[in-house]
Amino acid sequence: MISRRTLVKSSAGTVAAAALGMPAIAQAPKKISFLTWNIIDQEPMIRGWIARFAKDRPGVEVEWLDKKGPEIPVFYQTQLAAGTPPDVINTQGALGLEYAAQGALLDLTPRLKDEADVRARFNADYLSNWAYEGSNYMLPFYITKTLLFYNKPMFQKAGLAGPPQSFDEILASAQKLTASDASGFLTLNFDWLYWPLYAMNEVELLSKDLTKATFNSPKAVEVTERLAKATEAGAINKIAWTGRWVEPNGAFAAGNVGMLHAHSPAYFFVKGQGKWVTPETLGVAHAPGGFATPNSHGLGISKASKSPDLAWDFLKFVTNEGAQELGVNRKLVTGNVGVDTRNLAELEKNDPLVHAILKTQLEHTDKMVGNWRLGNDSRIKEAFWPELQNVLLGRKDAKTALADAERKVNRELKRG
Amino acid sequence: MMPAAGRVEAWRDDWWRRRRTRELALIACFLLPSATVFFLYRVLPLGWNVLLSLQYWSPLKPARWAGLDHYEEMLLHDDVFWQALQNTLIFIGVSPLAILLALGIALLVNSDLKGAAIYRSIIFLSYPLMTVAVGIIWRWMYDERGGIINFLLRESGVATKPIPFLQSFEWALPSVIVAEIWQVLGFYMIIILTGLQSIPPHLYEAAAIDGAPRWARFWRITLPMLKPSLFLCAVVGILNSLTSFDLVYIMTNGGPGHATELLITLIYKSGFGQTKFDYAAALTVVQFSLLLALTYLANRAFGGNAGALQR
Repeated sequence: MISRRTLVKSSAGTVAAAALGMPAIAQAPKKISFLTWNIIDQEPMIRGWIARFAKDRPGVEVEWLDKKGPEIPVFYQTQLAAGTPPDVINTQGALGLEYAAQGALLDLTPRLKDEADVRARFNADYLSNWAYEGSNYMLPFYITKTLLFYNKPMFQKAGLAGPPQSFDEILASAQKLTASDASGFLTLNFDWLYWPLYAMNEVELLSKDLTKATFNSPKAVEVTERLAKATEAGAINKIAWTGRWVEPNGAFAAGNVGMLHAHSPAYFFVKGQGKWVTPETLGVAHAPGGFATPNSHGLGISKASKSPDLAWDFLKFVTNEGAQELGVNRKLVTGNVGVDTRNLAELEKNDPLVHAILKTQLEHTDKMVGNWRLGNDSRIKEAFWPELQNVLLGRKDAKTALADAERKVNRELKRG
Repeated sequence: MMPAAGRVEAWRDDWWRRRRTRELALIACFLLPSATVFFLYRVLPLGWNVLLSLQYWSPLKPARWAGLDHYEEMLLHDDVFWQALQNTLIFIGVSPLAILLALGIALLVNSDLKGAAIYRSIIFLSYPLMTVAVGIIWRWMYDERGGIINFLLRESGVATKPIPFLQSFEWALPSVIVAEIWQVLGFYMIIILTGLQSIPPHLYEAAAIDGAPRWARFWRITLPMLKPSLFLCAVVGILNSLTSFDLVYIMTNGGPGHATELLITLIYKSGFGQTKFDYAAALTVVQFSLLLALTYLANRAFGGNAGALQR
């Protein structure tokens, strides 16, 4: 029979042995996780990044997770609640700011201050899109903003010399392009992508300090009424106010819509579906006034990351060495000025149409609108957009709808 | 000292008690696994959800007591909630129509109709389809420009211009409801058909001998005997209406505006779209209460003991 003394001794021995084993645990590989937004098609490239990153850092492991757009918020928030968020996260649009406001993301400002060369890599206007209350929470991964695509043969047939230069011209051109089987204008509407239509009419959504709705003005009522009338007349395709991504881009790809106001990735969808799309038939221009709404992808670090330094290293790697490859593979701009300059120079020779599209993404970056640095952007959007839809689809008059929207937006702003 | 008969009786009493105890222990053992799962995955989350609805909470912020603030917001200030509630009730209200339609079809395919088995299979085929697939199929069928429904309406001269089924405030909800009915019709039909086939034929024979007309046989025999099947269909209909998330999400995402918003889509959007988990919890409590009330009413409507086990 084992005596109590023997039992205590052997227990102590076991604990000691376990304690001796601790350094082995401490030396276990450092692991970070990397969550991306629907870029599973780039698997070889991302696996390559991870392999190259880990090669220079023995013992380091990077776990890659990819989720489709609608799954990301659900996945990330459940991981946050569980206390196990991915170390590095890729988000689109204003989502990063919402996470920053919730306290989910690491403030990158001190690191960017310490490493000025890293900060200098990026286009400052794009970088500032992820600044919340003066602090920067994300780095650009790949960047997009809206532009105007137009169907040149339709323009020619309608006797239009070129893309519109003002809001009035957008509506007038749209009307001219409209026929029994054709409409003049379409815009994407998610994430404030339609906001340039208001910005070019000097309508402001919110006060400068983002505490009060300012959009309910006679000018906004007039603009909204005109958009509603053009929609009623068929000059603006209704899909502009009801479709999400596939429907409006698909309608433009069908070849019977004169103009598409969309962000740059729409081109690849339109090209894939529209046999008519060539450099000779597809026109590319800035929206009047150079106004555009960004819808970029950024990379941030979860505050709960157990290896923030390693995650920061990975972030720098992906947005530099990785960006070069990403830009070439997916024909996009990354916000890394050096990388984009090199890639665009190559594209100018190899693919002039894509070059023309991507060039717009780096121009007039000071005219980006619809990118309020709000921590509750989705709530403001939800308070505003359905009311606007009510007018544009003929359910309410503009005055009533905008007044209702103002009440709802102010209520959300007060809630914070 | 206790007399012998009394001792025997006491012993029997004891024995019975012990046996009963053993039985109860056995029942508890059998019930425990499922009861545990039910408690962990149903009762506990529901309880936590009720608590959450009375707090201000987001994943990274400590919870603060909110009392009835979320309910006040919902009932007094949120028009979207009322719109979603109204749409949900319309969705539920349409269930009896679908059941009625399924009853008609079941009666037809249960008759001597030629090719009844084929019709039965065709109608049932929609049910095993994934709801996401159903949503996508119907979305394209409703499409304003390339959809077959608009094509047929225009070709047949019923409509002169395309109808924006899913893009208009008037048509969107009825269009989604039609897709919903189409999918669930086959299921209702099979349930009712099973009910029809389990009605003893001698009841009809006796009624026929007594000279009861067809409608009387239907009202006096078929319908009362179908009560359990119809009750099941009604409950499934209520559940489907309250959980038609995928169909609405795929077809309209609750739009245009909030024309097709249901409580379930609003819950999802509030929670995961706007990070208002606390508010979403309050919405869930309302939806759960609605479900309880409607199931109770359905049970009452079917005689109060529908679904009870018959020993």
